[in-house]
Amino acid sequence: MKRTFLLFTITLTVFGCKNPKKDNSKLNVVTTTTMITDLVKNIGGDHINLQGLMGSGVDPHLYKASEGDVSKLANADIIFYNGLHLEGKLVEVFEKMKNKKTIAIADALDKSTLIGSEYFASNFDPHIWFNIEYWKQATQFVVKTLTDAIPEQKETFKTNGNNYIKQLDALKNKLETVIETLPREKRILVTAHDAFNYFGKAFNFEVVGLQGLSTATEAGVQDVQNLSAFIIEHQVKAIFVESSVPKRTIEALQASVKSKDHDVTIGGTLYSDALGDAGTIEGTYIGMFEYNVNTIVNALK
Amino acid sequence: MSSAQIEIQVIASLVAIACAIPGTFLVLRKMAMISDAISHSILPGIVIGFFITQDLNSPLLILLAAITGIITVVLVEYIQKTGLVKEDTAIGLVFPALFSIGVILIAKNANDVHLDVDAVLLGELAFAPFDRLIIYGVDVGPKSLWIIGCILLTTLGLLSAFFKELKVSTFDAGLAASLGFSPGVIHYGLMSVSSVTTVGAFDAVGAILVVALMIAPAATAYLLTTNLKRMLVYAMCFGVFSAIMGYWLAHILDASIAGSITTILGLIFFVVYLFAPSKGIIAVLFREKQQRTEVFLLTFLLHLKNHNEEGERHVNHLNEHINWQKVRSKTVLDLALKNNMITINNKIVSLTEKGNDFTAQAIDYIITNEDTQIEHMKDDFFLFRG
Repeated sequence: MKRTFLLFTITLTVFGCKNPKKDNSKLNVVTTTTMITDLVKNIGGDHINLQGLMGSGVDPHLYKASEGDVSKLANADIIFYNGLHLEGKLVEVFEKMKNKKTIAIADALDKSTLIGSEYFASNFDPHIWFNIEYWKQATQFVVKTLTDAIPEQKETFKTNGNNYIKQLDALKNKLETVIETLPREKRILVTAHDAFNYFGKAFNFEVVGLQGLSTATEAGVQDVQNLSAFIIEHQVKAIFVESSVPKRTIEALQASVKSKDHDVTIGGTLYSDALGDAGTIEGTYIGMFEYNVNTIVNALK
Repeated sequence: MSSAQIEIQVIASLVAIACAIPGTFLVLRKMAMISDAISHSILPGIVIGFFITQDLNSPLLILLAAITGIITVVLVEYIQKTGLVKEDTAIGLVFPALFSIGVILIAKNANDVHLDVDAVLLGELAFAPFDRLIIYGVDVGPKSLWIIGCILLTTLGLLSAFFKELKVSTFDAGLAASLGFSPGVIHYGLMSVSSVTTVGAFDAVGAILVVALMIAPAATAYLLTTNLKRMLVYAMCFGVFSAIMGYWLAHILDASIAGSITTILGLIFFVVYLFAPSKGIIAVLFREKQQRTEVFLLTFLLHLKNHNEEGERHVNHLNEHINWQKVRSKTVLDLALKNNMITINNKIVSLTEKGNDFTAQAIDYIITNEDTQIEHMKDDFFLFRG
């Protein structure tokens, strides 16, 4: 035991000197998913020091923390997360953090309007960003939270927030015109997991996911069979892969449909639980939404 | 270094020590995989706990998980006792059965709730510092630090109280029974400790790391010593060392902490496996080579003893007579000379008195079928080994 302790002390001293510098001048804000990172960046701009935990293409249900995230979380002044169990175990960790300000975006929304679980009342569908109205409420919520933290920047945050809400309104109008071109009976969206329920509700799509809400569960043989029967019955032209879910389940579905002498194409990759790479158009919430809708409409036309 | 970083290393080190103790005994009893089995078989306990409480965060879930762990151990022991299958087979029979009961329960009753082992037990070292234990409004440190601390203290207490019993029943169950303490009781006690440690450590650091920390340090220590106390201490040291080095590896690479610790554990085992003084692969290879040369030397000496004619004993003819390559004959000749077994006059090799004694004794042992005695004899005769 003495040796162990000695070793421990030596290691601490050796590595103790190597401490990353932390920028104290600005408010340290940590966000979880890429959608929330994008939202907070649009409002906070240069006035905050923003760090996102999850990169593009990361599935928030299955996210594994790295060592760097520990320092990010430890140094954070405010943490924004989605909530509703989207980030799995992390949500609980955030809820238990007593000495930090942790903000669940989902708290901004009226829970009674959310889509709930059939079995257990307290569980809701967490993919709230696919309803632009919800995202507008989230924007105001972020503006309010940041204003409380840095009152002197009140005006900037307010202007940024209003501008962003205007952009979201414009986005919604634009998407509605695009979707109008698709006849009602063709609005059937088949994807890998149940991420698009809010999207379907907002734009009158019938949404069918192969896997359940959580990407951690596996699709059963029965699920694939039922869904391929559904696709044939409704003459669905295309099904979609998601950027953060492995392709193979959707390919299995396609093969199953083809085995019944029916043709269905893979309409493209949709961004569901994460945005595209930072710096590209799909790396922003607005770009992602436009891309998704264009992909869906073009493939189903 | 921030307090979160220190806390992670302290938790990881404590888990390493808490795992090394039952791990050492499990490795010695060839039951190492029981920790892996427990990490899966606790699922039905968690599912049933969820059905009772409807709450993923209830401590009842963890309690039921630990109880399922003990049930696993009892079932494994029961199947083993029948004597029809081996230890590892019994483990392999029990845990998939329990795990699949859990899977079926989820599929039938809770398909749209995120319910699995990961959802209930935290299992992520990186978040451990943020899950605080608060008593009467005072922050007393990370919750998992306290859980692991309690488990470790209990384990250490039990270890010092029952060390002799554990030792005897591990190495000689028959002797333990005749001395009056039941190996069965000790066995169940050890297995229950392993089960509780696994579940508690699982919550703090995650499944794979628990299995790795139980087995890898103990297996590494096993290669280095044959003394139980030393093996325990070595296993703890390796565990703690890997935990801290792994943490800093993760820091440098910005990678998963559990993954890095497991990597370090694997590397340390590999290095020890190669370089361990007596059981290491290099030591074994070296010993084999040495023994081969010594066998050749003995053959050569026997040849000399059998032949008095000079033609058979000429240095240049060695290759032809015993059918050796040049290099090998030179090695053997040098070794024999260094050990004063032979003399060379005018390129004619003859046995010295010592060489004669050695060969005569060796022949005796070979005739009486006591070949192993030759090894001891070598210690007496050889100044230099092959």
